[in-house]
This record gives sequence, C-alpha cells and structure tokens, in this order.
Amino acid sequence: MFRYIVNRILALVLTLFIIVSIAFMVVRLMPGSVYEMGGDLSQQVIDALNAKYHFDEPIIKQYYYFLENIFLHWDWGTSAKMRPGVPVFDILRDRIPISLQLNLVSLFAALPVGMAAGILAAIRKNTVVDYFVSLMVVLFISIPSFVFAAALQYFLGFKLGWFPIIYNVSAAGVARWHSMFLPILALSFDPIARVARYLRAELAETMNSEFMLLAKTKGLTYAQSTIRHGLRNSMLPMMNIIVPMFANVLGGSLVVETIFAVPGMGGLMVDSINASDHMLTVAILMFYSMISLITVLIVDISYGIVDPRVRIGGKK
Amino acid sequence: MVLYENNKEKYDSIPKEKFVQVQKDQEIHDVDFKTKPIGFFMDVWLRFVKNKASVIAAVIIFILSIFAIAGPSMSDYRYDEQHPELVNMPPKIPAIAKMNLGIFDGAYLLENRQYDNLSDPEKYPEGCVLEILNPRLVNGQRIVDVYVDYYKYMGLEDEDCYWLGSDYLGRDIWTRLWRGTRVSLLIAVISVCCNVFIGVIYGSISGYYGGKVDMVMMRITEIISAFPRIVVVTLFIMVAGTGMFSIIMSLVIKDWVDTARMVRAQFYRFKGREYVLAARTLGVPDMLLIFRHILPNSIGPIITSSMIAIPSAIFSESFLAYIGLGLQAPEPSLGVMLSRGQKVLLYFPSQLVFPAIVISLLMISFNLFGNGLRDAFDPTLRGAE
Repeated sequence: MFRYIVNRILALVLTLFIIVSIAFMVVRLMPGSVYEMGGDLSQQVIDALNAKYHFDEPIIKQYYYFLENIFLHWDWGTSAKMRPGVPVFDILRDRIPISLQLNLVSLFAALPVGMAAGILAAIRKNTVVDYFVSLMVVLFISIPSFVFAAALQYFLGFKLGWFPIIYNVSAAGVARWHSMFLPILALSFDPIARVARYLRAELAETMNSEFMLLAKTKGLTYAQSTIRHGLRNSMLPMMNIIVPMFANVLGGSLVVETIFAVPGMGGLMVDSINASDHMLTVAILMFYSMISLITVLIVDISYGIVDPRVRIGGKK
Repeated sequence: MVLYENNKEKYDSIPKEKFVQVQKDQEIHDVDFKTKPIGFFMDVWLRFVKNKASVIAAVIIFILSIFAIAGPSMSDYRYDEQHPELVNMPPKIPAIAKMNLGIFDGAYLLENRQYDNLSDPEKYPEGCVLEILNPRLVNGQRIVDVYVDYYKYMGLEDEDCYWLGSDYLGRDIWTRLWRGTRVSLLIAVISVCCNVFIGVIYGSISGYYGGKVDMVMMRITEIISAFPRIVVVTLFIMVAGTGMFSIIMSLVIKDWVDTARMVRAQFYRFKGREYVLAARTLGVPDMLLIFRHILPNSIGPIITSSMIAIPSAIFSESFLAYIGLGLQAPEPSLGVMLSRGQKVLLYFPSQLVFPAIVISLLMISFNLFGNGLRDAFDPTLRGAE
C-alpha cells in the first residue's frame, strides 16, 4: 500500500510538471507583449524589465528561470495586468480561501439533503415520493448550475429581495453568509442530486439482500434494520462519489462565482484570461490541476482503504 | 446403471425385437415458429418504447432539432442583422398578445409618467397602453407607472415584431436562439462523433492486440486522462483561438479516452470467446475479426455513452462562453447567448430565459434519452448510475 501511494504521488508530481511546462509554453507563445501595458516605455525601463524578468532571452532559458524561481523561491512570477507588480502567489493566497469555502460549504450542505432524499426514495420505492425524488434528480443533474444561479439571482435576489444580488465583499459575519447563500445554493443542486441518486440505488439493492431479511427475522423493527444494517452498508460506497464531486463542483463554481461576483478563483481565472495576464493564468491553471489531481489520488487511495478487495500493488 | 445391474436377468430376458424406436415413421408434431424472430435492434426498440420518459425526451430532441434547422429562416430577420434603434425590445408574438395572457405582448414598464399625457395619441399611440400601475400625486401632478406595448409605442406594425425580443444590438433573439441551438448541437454532435471514431479505433487495437501494445497505449491514455478537463480545454482554446473548430477539438482532445477505455474493456470480454477462435481458425484476417466479429458487440455501450456525452459537450460549450472563450461574434451559440443574457438579467430577463429554457430542455432530454437507451441496450443495468 505504501509503495502504491508513493508511486502515485511521483506520478502526480510528474503530471504537474508536464502541465506547468505546457502551460508555460502555451502562454508564452500567445500573441501580445508584456510591454503593451505601460504604453510608451523608455528603453531604460525595458532594459530594466528585461534584466529582471529575462524577456529578451530564448524561451528555453526563460523556462529554466521560471522553474528555478518556483522550486528555489516558491516564486510564481508577477502579475502584469490584473494587479501589476503583485506576486502571483499572493493574489492566489487572497482568493483561494473564499473559493474553497464556497465549494466545501455547498458540498457539505448538499450531503445531508441528498442523503435524506435518497433514503426516502429507497424506502418508499415505486411510490409517489420515489418518483418525485427521481424527477428532481433528473432536473438537478441536467440543468446547468449557471441556469440555477441566474434563476435564483433573479427571483430570490431581485424580485423577492430576500438575498443580496451579488456577493458582499465588505460584509462580515452573518451578512457575509447571507450574501453567500445564493451561490452556495446554486452549487449544491448538482451534488444533492448525485448523492440522492447513488444512495437510492445502493440502499434499494441492500434492502433486498439476505442479511436484511435475517435482521428482520431476528425481530428488529423496520427502522432498526434499515438504519443499523441497510444504511451502514450503503454508506461505504458513498465515499467513491463524494470526493470526485468536489472536483466537479469546482468547475461549476467557476461560472457561478462570476455570476455572483464572488472574488474567488473562478472570477480570477476568467479575468486573467480576458486580460491576458499570463503568469497569473499559468498559476491558476496549476491550482486547478493540483486540486483535481489530488482529488483523483484521494479517490484511488480511499478505494483501497474502504474496500480492501481493490487494493493494488500491495504485498501478496 | 444401478437399476440395470440389479435387475439384470429381468432386462436381459426381454427379446430384442420388442425394442422399437418410438417416432420412427410417425409425423413430428413440432411446428415452426409462427412469429418472426426478433433481432437485436428490434429487441432494443421494443424495450425502448416501453420507457415513456425516454420516448418523450426523444420527441423533444426531435422537435428542438427541427427548430434548430428551420427556426432561423422562419423569421424575417437575419442572425447578424443589427437595428441600433430597436435594442433590447421585449418579446411579442401578435397571435398570443391578442389573447391577453400577459405574455409575449411586448409589455415594457415606463416609470413615472404623467397620467394626463396617456390620452395624448401623439405620445401614446392608439392601444399601446396595457396596464396602469401605482397612481400617485407628486407636486400636484398625477404620476403613474405604465405598461405599454413597446412596439405600438414606437409606432411599429405587428409584422415587424421580434417574437422573442431583441438583444443589445437590436438583433432578433428568435433567429439567434435557433441558430445558436444549431451551433451548440453541431459542436456537441461533431465532437462526440470524433470521440467515438478515435476511441473505437484506438480501443479496438489496444484491446485486440493486448500485451505490450496494450500496455503502451493504455499508459498514453492514463497520461491524457490525468490532465484536468478545465485546464486542457482552456489551454487548447488559448492556443488554437476561439472558433467552432477549436472548441470541437478541445472537447475531443481528452474525451476520446473514455470511449477508448470502454471499447478496450469490451474487446477483452469478447476476444477469448469460442466464436472468435473459430473464425481465426478459418483464416479470418485481424481487421475483419476486429470490425466484423468483435466490435459489433460493443455497439450498445458505444451508442449509450455517446448519447450521454452530448449534454456534457453542450455544457462545456456554454462553460467556455461564460469564461470568455466562446465563439467569435456575431456567431451565436447557446452559451454565448446565456452569458450575454446574464449581463442584462436584472433589466431584460427575457434575453436569458429563452436560451436557458432551450439548454435545460436539451440537457434533460438527452440525459433521459441516454438513460432510456442504456436500459434498452442492457436491461441488467436498469436503475444503476
């Protein structure tokens, strides 16, 4: 198991390296010079900039300096257009917490709701409740999160005025959460539906198994057998879908963050691409790569922990 | 045998002539099947039509496709025709407006108008006032908010109506909506076709030859699938520029891997079967074995997974449009229209509502249709994810 994890982490580092190389090359080969921003710069300033950032040297050498800075100084470069002169890593450090907060809260808020819906649908299988849950699942999974976001923003935010239309940056405490409610809600529809669908299928199958019959024969009540035996056995496989859902939600939050003007990673990525702030774009792409690679790694390792049958690469 | 051993004398004493074949010269009463044999696709069809939701979804997809093909030519406006004097017009369909349902009547709210002017035909042409709200007295003036039929207010004939309104450049939303649906569907269908084409060939070769070939080919897919989708798509568009072709390619570049894996798994299931061995013994060449004998087994999963891939391609296209990497103006797509509509949501919600309805309908229908196909192709998977 240990060797397997080490191998996987090495592969992860290699993949990250390839991604950062490709991203660097792509971004550097894009049209548009760094010097455009300041308008007319004197030769002196250009020379000074060249001396600092090595823009006049061949791209391979620039690449070398880029990697050297990252590995030796953890220096991801400097933003050129969004916030000129500010180190990219500092910008990310401001933005990451709020994105993570948004995504994690919406995911964890979705879990109990989704589980409740799934359990309800499974124990009331083939009744109106089940059909209603199934309908909701189809709607929530199919309709894109940005459509939900727009609908919530218009009806709950604008027409009814229950929540702020956009995220309130300056507010703190309750007011901040109040303004964060709509984006969280918009993001949680998809995980709710996925959890409900998965748990319903899983629990419905468990309920038909023989140990459930045995439990009931031994005199457990319906609720006891469902909660202690059925539910417990269906919970384990849930791990497998919850972790990848996190990477999923991140992608959706990119758009939802722009809609609600949340100052997180999503808005930053959109802005930096549109402003062609290259170093920033590379760093953001790296952030997203890192998140999704780590997610995949956690899933693969947790498979082995949760279910020893799929463990690979361990001792015989 | 025990029965015989124990009663040996008894059996042996029966003379041989007494043993007669029962059916020797008799008529056989078995009859031929009266019904026709049901083939694979007939079987699938029969199972598919039983699923009402999927059939309805298929019908909706069909109707939307018809509109995507014919919709743009139903209106007199072209998709890139700009009318600077008619920007952000409300939707109005004359036939529905006559029914007084409160929708599609070209209603637009004018705030803080003088009540006395409403009867002045110079300012408010005949029949343009729909509803008067909120009358109040300000500085001795009678002030009201008034819903007007904006087309009549502007002095336009019914024939000139924008059925679904116009956007910020005065372009007809009806025409753009259906042209956008067409573009989005095209992007989705073409990218999925490319996925299937590459995936099937790659997966077949990898699965059929196995061994070292398989190992190398699967390593390559593992590397490709390690790259996060958002990052790959974004980088690709940044390199190739924002066009329909590069959007399609950016969706293909990573997604074919899933098809390839699935096809490979199918090959591993079937390549060891006896009928394949028999065919090989008869001297059937590899290519024929792959495409004639083994591949048709995976037709079900391939069709199903490509149907399920279509909504995710539609979603990716709108996602790209939202982050500013969508199609170049003036070409519309659902994503481009959604992200434009989002900007004016609070003032002109109708510009977002129509593309949102179409994209939601498309996604729901394709998902339901895909589920129905999956159940029809492989009933053992029913209700699974």
